[in-house]
Amino acid sequence: MRDWRRVKERIFLAVTSILAMVAVAPLFHIIASVAIRGGGVLYRAGLDFLTSQPAPPGSSMLGGIGPALLGTLWLALLTSAIGIPLSVLTAVFIVEFKDHPLARLAKVFTSSLLEIPTVLIGMLVFLTIVSMMGHYSLLAGSIALAIVMLPYTVSYVERAMEEVPRTYREAGYSIGMTRSQVVFDVVMGIARRGVAAGVVIGLAKIVSETAPLLFTIGSARSSYPMSMKDVFEPGDAVPLLIFQFAQTPYQNWQDLAWGAALILTVIVLALFAAMKLIVREVHL
Amino acid sequence: MDNTGKMPAGDRRLFYSLAPAAVISMGILVVMTVLFIYYSIPAVRVYGAKLITTSTWSPSEYGEPSYGLLIPILGTLISSIIAVVIALPLALSAVFFTEEVLPRSMGSVRSAFASLIEAMTGIPTIVYGLWGLMVLSPFLRDNVYQPLYRYLGFIPLFSCEPVTGSTILTAGILLSIMITPFIYAVVRQSYNQVPRTYKEAILALGATRYEYARILFGMIKPAILAGALIGFGRAAGETVAVALVVGNTFNPPTCILSPSYTVSALIANQFANAPLYPYMVNVLVLGGLILLVLGIISNILGVMYLARVRYVA
Amino acid sequence: MDLVEVRVSRLNVWIGGKHILKDVYLKASPGSVTAVMGPSGSGKSTLIRVINRLIDLVPGARVEGEVLLGGINALREDPYIVRRLTGMVFQEPNPFPHMTIYDNVAIGPKLHGLARSRRELDSIVEWALKKAHLWDEVKDRLHDYPYQLSGGQKQRLSLARALALKPRVLLLDEPTANIDPVSTTKIERSIMEYAKEAMATVLIVTHTPQQAARISDQILFIYQGRVVEYGPTRELVLHPKNSLTRKFLGGEV
Repeated sequence: MRDWRRVKERIFLAVTSILAMVAVAPLFHIIASVAIRGGGVLYRAGLDFLTSQPAPPGSSMLGGIGPALLGTLWLALLTSAIGIPLSVLTAVFIVEFKDHPLARLAKVFTSSLLEIPTVLIGMLVFLTIVSMMGHYSLLAGSIALAIVMLPYTVSYVERAMEEVPRTYREAGYSIGMTRSQVVFDVVMGIARRGVAAGVVIGLAKIVSETAPLLFTIGSARSSYPMSMKDVFEPGDAVPLLIFQFAQTPYQNWQDLAWGAALILTVIVLALFAAMKLIVREVHL
Repeated sequence: MDNTGKMPAGDRRLFYSLAPAAVISMGILVVMTVLFIYYSIPAVRVYGAKLITTSTWSPSEYGEPSYGLLIPILGTLISSIIAVVIALPLALSAVFFTEEVLPRSMGSVRSAFASLIEAMTGIPTIVYGLWGLMVLSPFLRDNVYQPLYRYLGFIPLFSCEPVTGSTILTAGILLSIMITPFIYAVVRQSYNQVPRTYKEAILALGATRYEYARILFGMIKPAILAGALIGFGRAAGETVAVALVVGNTFNPPTCILSPSYTVSALIANQFANAPLYPYMVNVLVLGGLILLVLGIISNILGVMYLARVRYVA
Repeated sequence: MDLVEVRVSRLNVWIGGKHILKDVYLKASPGSVTAVMGPSGSGKSTLIRVINRLIDLVPGARVEGEVLLGGINALREDPYIVRRLTGMVFQEPNPFPHMTIYDNVAIGPKLHGLARSRRELDSIVEWALKKAHLWDEVKDRLHDYPYQLSGGQKQRLSLARALALKPRVLLLDEPTANIDPVSTTKIERSIMEYAKEAMATVLIVTHTPQQAARISDQILFIYQGRVVEYGPTRELVLHPKNSLTRKFLGGEV
């Protein structure tokens, strides 16, 4: 009787350990696949990979993902310009006026955005911004991405602000600061690492998003957006290029997708690492 | 109750300068819901219940197009259920492994394992999709689906010949990999909230670690349910990774070895060209509305279950 | 230099329906130090926070009665004006961790435009740090961040931050509760000197009878939100009328 219980325990421990390994195994396989296949492509294409346009489909040439990479940079920039102020100000409002009904609504509604499939955000922007402008544009894509970013950044900034001990607020008021001085000079100053972490995590989320871009930026695979006026034109982005090239039967485009996946993974992991570093160095 | 009236002038100025941002942020979901309902109405008016009870999808620029979302809706449900069924044991094992199997003395190994799983949420979904399409699908077709069909083909679920690796089952498996870390995070948090004294009491009774796990996971059952629901919501809404591996074909997903469709994949593939066809935008927006409702409901339920754990502990 | 007398009468405070202060009164004159004493939870900190309207930050707080700061009705006036007139030091040392030592002292004067030049600002900062008896310890590292300072030094920095605005009323909420004895002595000296030199009105919450005896001119003893004894320090310490006060001063409550 007692031995049977022991045996069951053994089996259970073995099974859970194996399943736990199975749970993380895909991570290694994905990273290895991306590193090997993408690395091979990058090695073959050289620096051109970062700057050239994709070669024609089916050709023996590779070309590169220049326009998509530049597009992703523009998207990150524009999304930050729209998304950071919007999320930070919303978070401040939610924290500072938490008893006001508007703040409570804002909190519930923005955090619900987290649970909404991002493809729907693409649909929303298509039905509003794109149909108003009459064509796809990097701007429309950035608006969609800013909406994707919003709930992440709002909740991080909110938490960072809540963590500032109350006594610093009191100290601020006691020397005659106004509410906005207390918020922006004291609370945000003390919480600045948390705020920065929220912004970085938001960026890490949006640079790899594909679904919101499907019906918003078009895929202008050969144009290099260079100035602010190109923002109103269609563009391309790295994740969108991967999505579309992966589905083609052309070897050289599939290779480009792998190379692009490596670049994208590196960017995202770097942003996550940056976030961890920012958070760790906090001291009060 | 509006209390802006009582605020000092300085506060009121801050209130009114921040309020627009809050209103915009809040308005996004409201506008989305209203707009989606508004766009869905014509589709419902023209096609009625047929939209979700039939499965013909023949858009036409001129004649009489007919649209039925039955297959994609079933596809979404079945692939997400497969995902949860696979991910749940993986996530629970991973929680038990981090918290109980790895010895307390190996704190750094534990946190390393936990951050590995966390890192899985950081991998872009499009990279999951690319890997799923190019690596996972061919592997599953040759090593899993073929044998399943050959030896278990008498079971209806496995009764169709796997021609490609892009099937509803592949979508489910890929989704399970993607949602495991989310379920893990939800369950682990509750697991750690169980007071130490309970854990010690169970061990003091002379329970084996198997019995211990059964009791502990029993205590946090609502959290496990919550994790499953939240994972289900994520799986149902996932778009690009699924669109790459589900096969994008209007086959009924009753045999899980055949290519099929999900609502999100249908939207991803067809929405951009939808304005060319009468009512297609409306029908696809209705599909989006279904996803919206599914996502919100599974999340609300999940949060409710989570709240119940806190009450117990 | 205008003299600001603090006059509190019939002050009642409820927080979340709980009656915290009941008909509290006091009169503190310029140049004097008033010690507010009582067991913990008796409402001392609340009293201090009503005077500079930090009570406004407490959710669910309701205040009735009258608080006069010189000619100003503190409960009716814009709180920012009230706080400009008063300075406060808190129980936990709280210099702003993201500002340098210099900036912590300079922020008040900068905010209210008290200095017309950098030089003037420098001299205000030096003056305040000297008043807080901290100058000698930090004069070579004014541009460091305060996290390297000891708890007692941080508290003196908080005091300097308050003094830099030359407040007419200085409020202190158990400023030496968690502080080393050396810093405690310095802070007590600062408080007494500031009251006399600037003819400021000082209210200090304390729970040590010895401290009250050392630095105060009068003592207000609160128990369960009510004033149970109020009078000149010497009289109250030597001949406490109330049995509770006697017990407290003897260290029994």
